[in-house]
Amino acid sequence: MSRVQENDSLPLLEVRHLSKFFGKQLGCHDISFAVSPGEVIGVVGESGSGKSTLLNCIAGRIQSSNGAVLFNSSVGMLDLCRCDEALVRRIIRTQTGYVTQNASKGLKMHISAGGNIGEKLMANGMRNYRQIREQALAWLAKVEIDPGRIDDLPSTFSGGMQQRLQIAANLVNAPKIMLMDEPTSGLDVSVQARLIDVLRKLVSGLNLSMILVTHDLAVARLLCHRLYVMKQGKIVESGLSDQILDDPRQPYTQLLVSSVLKP
Amino acid sequence: MTPHWILSLDGIGKDFVFHHQQGTRIVVFEQFSHQFYPGSATILTGSSGAGKSTLLRMIYATYKTGSGSIRVRHGEDLVDIAAARPAMIYTLRKHTIGYVSQFLRVVPRVSALDTVIEPLLARNMDPAQARKKGKALLERLNIPSNMWHLSATTFSGGEQQRINLARGFIAPFPILLLDEPTASLDLKNRRTVIDLIKETLADNTCVIGVFHDPADHREFADHTIDLAPMTNQEMMQPCPEKD
Repeated sequence: MSRVQENDSLPLLEVRHLSKFFGKQLGCHDISFAVSPGEVIGVVGESGSGKSTLLNCIAGRIQSSNGAVLFNSSVGMLDLCRCDEALVRRIIRTQTGYVTQNASKGLKMHISAGGNIGEKLMANGMRNYRQIREQALAWLAKVEIDPGRIDDLPSTFSGGMQQRLQIAANLVNAPKIMLMDEPTSGLDVSVQARLIDVLRKLVSGLNLSMILVTHDLAVARLLCHRLYVMKQGKIVESGLSDQILDDPRQPYTQLLVSSVLKP
Repeated sequence: MTPHWILSLDGIGKDFVFHHQQGTRIVVFEQFSHQFYPGSATILTGSSGAGKSTLLRMIYATYKTGSGSIRVRHGEDLVDIAAARPAMIYTLRKHTIGYVSQFLRVVPRVSALDTVIEPLLARNMDPAQARKKGKALLERLNIPSNMWHLSATTFSGGEQQRINLARGFIAPFPILLLDEPTASLDLKNRRTVIDLIKETLADNTCVIGVFHDPADHREFADHTIDLAPMTNQEMMQPCPEKD
């Protein structure tokens, strides 16, 4: 939570006037914001508010209707919505991670835990089997999975373990930004607490940026520097996490904050 | 030679509008100005609802400032907290403004010691050195060493508040905001906290706090600001905008 870069350098990622329509149906409309290196941004709002649509547009998983997603890559600022498709795919593969709510969609369930991590390393050109295995073991330990389970299938893991494995498989290539769609939803509270703890440590240790889509305001407060509140596809309020949660100004934000037990 | 202020509030205004409660608007500050100086302690007094905590939270940027400016000396620069960019607020909170809230926000699975030393690690202090400092402070605040490695979730109110205080005093800040830090402490621990405040004042920190006990005021306060609650008429105004 504490190592955001302090200079006014270029943002790592900037979303400009991004809109997505599904036919006549609005997904998200005119969204603009920037993420600094090391900064964790939360997108909150009720189901159907367009949070996941926004995240999927940024991740290049769905094509936006309008607007730009600028990414500060090793080859300069690139608009991920416009530039060469092969280049975009390479940047997304090497510099971003994407964690879904449903771990079984983010993992390959028919290959081992180690294989899920190793596959990502091989996709980036690593070929030495021993090195791949060593890295996989190290990452399992970092996300608090017993390294003895390296050869087991993810389907034999609990929900919380699967989610941590998904995070490890995404972080192994040292991305600059992680996009996370409700990573803690559907987990027991104690399992959630562990996942949040793992995430907090990883974020502060790796100077990782993150866009976290969640409807859980307590999770948002714990992990995020800043929050964007979405309603019906639009951002209705934004600010520091404590500002949004302790001094909400907009009617919808006030409703959201007052609807939960002790955020 | 008059020392120059470190924090200057100029014409600040703050209101709260409750959109889901008939749009009630409560004005807490209007055209409020004050300067604060290094090495001095200011105590905010006034009845409940007068805006004591609100003022501290505006200085810490937890509450947005409605109008006016809150300028703070940050190294060589002057920064207006009311208008600063988020990255600047993170920096101010790391180096310039410390804040001890009324209650500790406990994070599950994080040990009491780790909670306390977080501000030091944020400044990139060597973890071993930070732990040493943290242990010394926890000892001073009478937290038994067998509790240091437990999460504060199960601690009593007084214990949690001492963890909160240790976290607030572990790293030196030019400005320290204290919101009723001694409320749930016994006499002995209160004495320790007052000593800590005096030490930080001797280090030239500007202390601004809410303390209810007049004894605390006599101990270290240089100034008091009495925040008179606005009259009902001033405070409650119909909301101009409709939900």
